[in-house]
Amino acid sequence: MRYIIWKDLKKNMTQLKKRAPCPYALDFSLPESPRVTDVLITTNGKEAAYHLKIEEISGEIDESTLVKKTSKKPKQIVMVRSVSDIMPVELTKLKFKKGASLSKDKVCIVEREKLDSVSKADLFVLDDRAKKIIADFEKKGFTIPHSLAIELSQKIGRFKKKDYERLIERIGTDFSRNEVDPHEAVGIIAAQSIGEPGTQMTMRTFHFAGVREMNVTLGLPRLIEIVDARKIPSTPSMTIYLKKEYEKSSEAVEKVMRELENTTLIDVCDLETSVADLTITITPVENRMKERFVTRDELITALRQSRQMKGTIIESVEGSEKIIIRPQNESFKDLYKLQEALKVTTIKGVSGIKRAMARKESGDVWVIYTQGSNLKEVMDKIEEIDSSRIYTNDLNEIYNTLGIEAVRNAILLESKRTLEEQGLEVDLRHLMLVADMMTQSGGVRAVGRQGISGNKKSVLARAAFEITAKHLLNAGLTGEIDPLAGVAENIIVGQPVTLGTGAVNLIYKGFTSDEE
Amino acid sequence: MTSGISKKIKEIRFSLLSPEEIRRMSQVKIITADTYDDDGYPIEKGLMDLHLGVIEPGLRCATCGGKVDECPGHFGHIELAMPVVHIEFIKEIKRFLDATCKVCGRIKLTDEEIKAYKPRMYELMHSKADVELLEINIKKITDEAASRTICPHCDAQQTKIILDKPTTFREEGIKVTPKEIRERLERIPDEDLLLFGMDEKVARPEWMVLTVLPVPPINVRPTITLATGERSEDDLTHKLVDIIRISQRLRESRDNGSPQLIIEDLWDLLQFHVTTYYDNQTAGIPPARHRSGRALKTLVQRLKGKEGRFRSNLSGKRVNFSSRTVISPEPFLSVNDVGVPEVVARELTVPVSVTSFNIDKVRELVKRGPSPRDESGRYIPGVNYIVRPDSRRIKITDENAEINSERIDVGWTIERQLMEGDIVLFNRQPSLHRMSMMGHTVRILSDRTFRFNLAVCTPYNADFDGDEMNLHVLQNEEARAEARIIMKVEEQMLSPRFGGPIIGGIHDHITAMFLLTHRNPRFTEEDTINMISYVDVDHLPDPEIIDGKKYYRGRDIFSLILPEGFNARFSSKLCAGSEGKCPYEDRVEDKEVYIRSGKLLTGTIDEAAISPFSGVIIEKIFKKYGPSVASTFVDRMTRLAIGVLNVIGFTTGIHDYDIPEDAVSSIRSVSKEAVAKINKLIENYQAGLLEPLPGRSVDETLEIEILGVTGEVRDQSGKIASAHLGLNNPSVIMARSGARAKMLNISEVAGMVGQQSVRGGRINRGYTGRTLSHFEKGDIGAEARGFVQSSYKNGLNPLEYFLHSIGGREGLVDTAVRTSRSGYMQRRLINAFENLKIDEKRRVVDTSGSIIQFSYGEDGIDPAKSDKGRAVDVDYTIFDEVGESS
Repeated sequence: MRYIIWKDLKKNMTQLKKRAPCPYALDFSLPESPRVTDVLITTNGKEAAYHLKIEEISGEIDESTLVKKTSKKPKQIVMVRSVSDIMPVELTKLKFKKGASLSKDKVCIVEREKLDSVSKADLFVLDDRAKKIIADFEKKGFTIPHSLAIELSQKIGRFKKKDYERLIERIGTDFSRNEVDPHEAVGIIAAQSIGEPGTQMTMRTFHFAGVREMNVTLGLPRLIEIVDARKIPSTPSMTIYLKKEYEKSSEAVEKVMRELENTTLIDVCDLETSVADLTITITPVENRMKERFVTRDELITALRQSRQMKGTIIESVEGSEKIIIRPQNESFKDLYKLQEALKVTTIKGVSGIKRAMARKESGDVWVIYTQGSNLKEVMDKIEEIDSSRIYTNDLNEIYNTLGIEAVRNAILLESKRTLEEQGLEVDLRHLMLVADMMTQSGGVRAVGRQGISGNKKSVLARAAFEITAKHLLNAGLTGEIDPLAGVAENIIVGQPVTLGTGAVNLIYKGFTSDEE
Repeated sequence: MTSGISKKIKEIRFSLLSPEEIRRMSQVKIITADTYDDDGYPIEKGLMDLHLGVIEPGLRCATCGGKVDECPGHFGHIELAMPVVHIEFIKEIKRFLDATCKVCGRIKLTDEEIKAYKPRMYELMHSKADVELLEINIKKITDEAASRTICPHCDAQQTKIILDKPTTFREEGIKVTPKEIRERLERIPDEDLLLFGMDEKVARPEWMVLTVLPVPPINVRPTITLATGERSEDDLTHKLVDIIRISQRLRESRDNGSPQLIIEDLWDLLQFHVTTYYDNQTAGIPPARHRSGRALKTLVQRLKGKEGRFRSNLSGKRVNFSSRTVISPEPFLSVNDVGVPEVVARELTVPVSVTSFNIDKVRELVKRGPSPRDESGRYIPGVNYIVRPDSRRIKITDENAEINSERIDVGWTIERQLMEGDIVLFNRQPSLHRMSMMGHTVRILSDRTFRFNLAVCTPYNADFDGDEMNLHVLQNEEARAEARIIMKVEEQMLSPRFGGPIIGGIHDHITAMFLLTHRNPRFTEEDTINMISYVDVDHLPDPEIIDGKKYYRGRDIFSLILPEGFNARFSSKLCAGSEGKCPYEDRVEDKEVYIRSGKLLTGTIDEAAISPFSGVIIEKIFKKYGPSVASTFVDRMTRLAIGVLNVIGFTTGIHDYDIPEDAVSSIRSVSKEAVAKINKLIENYQAGLLEPLPGRSVDETLEIEILGVTGEVRDQSGKIASAHLGLNNPSVIMARSGARAKMLNISEVAGMVGQQSVRGGRINRGYTGRTLSHFEKGDIGAEARGFVQSSYKNGLNPLEYFLHSIGGREGLVDTAVRTSRSGYMQRRLINAFENLKIDEKRRVVDTSGSIIQFSYGEDGIDPAKSDKGRAVDVDYTIFDEVGESS
């Protein structure tokens, strides 16, 4: 089936949705032939998320009902019959008419066999078959999650009625049997499941992950780092993808890398301080300059713009690469200060990013790996990067720029990767629990006395963990009350804990009188 | 044995003791520093006064009249001559002094400010919110008050107070005495206390300056009488003696008007003793020492740390009815069993209450005495003690057994010795996961070790090189029921860590199953019966008749132990992990395991089928048929394995690694080539011709390149070696089947050991510029940096041997560091997560009621019951239910 596709604003779509059917003023003309009435709209240039039905307009239109695409002079006006949300279709999945691409032409024709016009409002991405499966299970009294329904829809659709029924019955019972039991001590199980394989992990801090040239902390030290919610990881690193339109271009990659790498003066130049005539001579080293893509002009502008260089005299020596700098006041102290300041003067790049390396990965796509991380600045400053695919292993940075839900997922992902890389099988549910517990308060809390354990409600539990005396004495001072709800404190006083079989009471009432 | 409803502690309130309270609960005012008189009798009003409790048998407590074990002990008190500050509250005292007016005692905040802060503080104090949040608020408020230099209430000029650590306060260089401090604290009105996070009903600030010292009961600080009759006092008593002495001297000096200097010195000394009485590790104070020079263990030291009261006596406890001994393997036991030595069984007992239903049987049991045997001389349980309804215990001996069996009546309890079928807990430390402690049924065996089936080694992480394990006998019906239903080995066969089996065949089990099923060998009837006789199977498979003789196929024999109607389909381990094309790949017959209706049709049973972690058969049997069928399968499989190996015979030795001369020489030439290549690289490097890899220095590039070369040769030599070692070689059988070792290890023995490494690179430490003194400085060649060209079989030359040891050392150090680090991580994890549980709505909540997850793991599936993480194994279910048609 054929569709017209163009890029539009979300704002326009919401307006159209409210007003449709209504006329819509476009700032371009639709292709004359073939005539197509179905339109796909993309708002982000990556995937089409709206489906419009349009008609040609003939005759007069009421200006007041008109919706305009832009403030530009309209070129054509169409009648929008309906607007519907669809399951996002990636643009790459669409077949573009030969030679056409969305970025070049404002509008073009694409082909796709069929459009799943499932509304987003509907249950995630369930198709009819999956929905039917869920209904079939419900008939038998089972509730199954969508993920299972989708898996089943691909696998058990075409069985004979009898087999189908039997499978539903079996899978339904299996599923409900596999559910967790109430009062199960899932926290302890999670802690054991992560802690137990710790003894089998390597201590080697450095390992070559993916990129051979870059070091990343792995194994036990990394796992400890994650649960500690350390503010700065020992080896911060980012993975950066470029936007779809640039991702295969090596020029774009080179440009981005140049913008990324934080280059200081000392990285590309030699410094020479002359105490006799109170000057500092900067000698750019050619191959280092080349390696870091720095030109002499850039160097000088950077020096001029630098705040520490204020008031100093910067002279470039004619006929030579050298640059001479004099301090504002003729004093040795200032000279020394200037020398130290010069060493760390940033010429270009994003602060915190020491090195950047690019590698071609599957499908000829460039991926940039960095040593050092600065999520916010990279996302803000560099236009070519695809911020939907950017990644950093610095959890604190993720928290600060993307928020608590993002860092929850990052904790999950990082701990999963760390364990997987060591070849250890740990169920995702345990890691989820850790991530959820660490982020439950709205901020990232470490596992340990500074975080989760230090904030327990019970005085005795805190005293039993670490810094015993302080907790007891403070409790006395403030008159704290230990409600004896948790595990540690009940063990201390010698009572059954409130988990597992200790959470339920079975009372034998004896025979009632008339039974006797 | 108490019965009925027991009391439950609902909550514990904490508060400070006021001087009045200390005096009120005191039974005696202690005034003499002495303990016992010359006759060894406690001195009245001394530190061992009889009012404080009794610890010597024969004496009675002067307060409650109780004997030893009846009297809980009682407090006394010491009136200090002059007040001293409580070291543990020094920071809080400072806070109070800073934030309040030295003249009027009010907090240095305006009335408006006080009004503004109070509601928030009230809320924080009473909502039992975050302790940290409260602390932050208090600090904010008091810091603000402390910054005022003029009191907003009485306009008095304030002076800055400096804490001269550890216990002295100075105001403009002049010492502020504790007496003065106490007076100032007394002036603080009750209303202002809320802003300090305090409640006058719980604690007053002046109570932090001590005027009376509580004297703990003697049960807390018992006197130890040595074998020589010498008495030795507890550290706390020593400290209290010091305090009383100095307090007395101070009082005398003060009363007879001694110079101020002397009084001050004595006062400081009193402060020192009281401080060290509380905490003998205060920074800035030399610890008080015993005569022998050992630092005294005072109050804080008793509570703190791993050996302190909390972690070693309150969170963890010593128990009775337990036993510990060396373990050894016993393949003829079920996985659910544990073999208990007779000596142990005679000592450990189970309480049995006497009722009208069992009284005859119990009498019979008691009559047997403490060490009965049946007619054939086998162990039968006896009785060690009988307990009267008033809890008096009577020891049963051969002499009194007869009489006591008559005396027993309903309401008594007897302590019966262990017998076959009792459930006990079995444990190996470190207890890293819940499978480290499982329920076993008792089998009484001779000799002196605990024994169990080898399939249970994995969950306990046990081997038999001298490991010891603990055994606990459960003492009540509820515990036994829980152990049977929840903790029994067969219930724990799937690990909650990854949802796969943790119990399964190891080493010889795998080898045996491999030999039995690989290429489906034929066995004579005699051999077959011999094998099957190890298993409780009562029929033979269908025979194959050749020349009138009956033969049986290996896979048919294996099928005997599979449950009826069992289906499975998976790939054997055979080819997994081999690089490139595996020589066995084409033999689908051997590679693909196909089990239909309890019959193994094709495939080799090996690691992938029956081992812990990956064993598909064990996992699927458990899921489909439940714990008892699964454990029966493992029992039979482990027994069959022994049967098979007894018939076939299996051994390994150094001659497994014999390879022909031409293979040896080709390995040698490969390694020579490698050395040449490395030398070439070094040459290039030294000539400055080596191109650095992106982002690397030339030095690093050289190392990376060399490591690449050495890795390559090792692989090559391994290939050459394994080309000559086929599946008829026992070592190869073990490696291929996954029973033990990897092909790499075989190539190390037969071919070449390869590059030794430290920290992921070649060895480059030791002497300056060289690893061993046998090399020239700056030699970075292959041999000088730990490239071992010999094989283990041929032996390493001395230089190689030393370099190999350097590489090996890293592993040892690593393990040592790792265990402590990961142990601490696990302790923190457990502590942080211990309170989480699933509630009735299947949400994850903690014990104080906060919700952590709305659905556990997003789908509410128990990982222990899941199929390696997935809710249901759809493919297997379809295969199992519908069969091939998919």
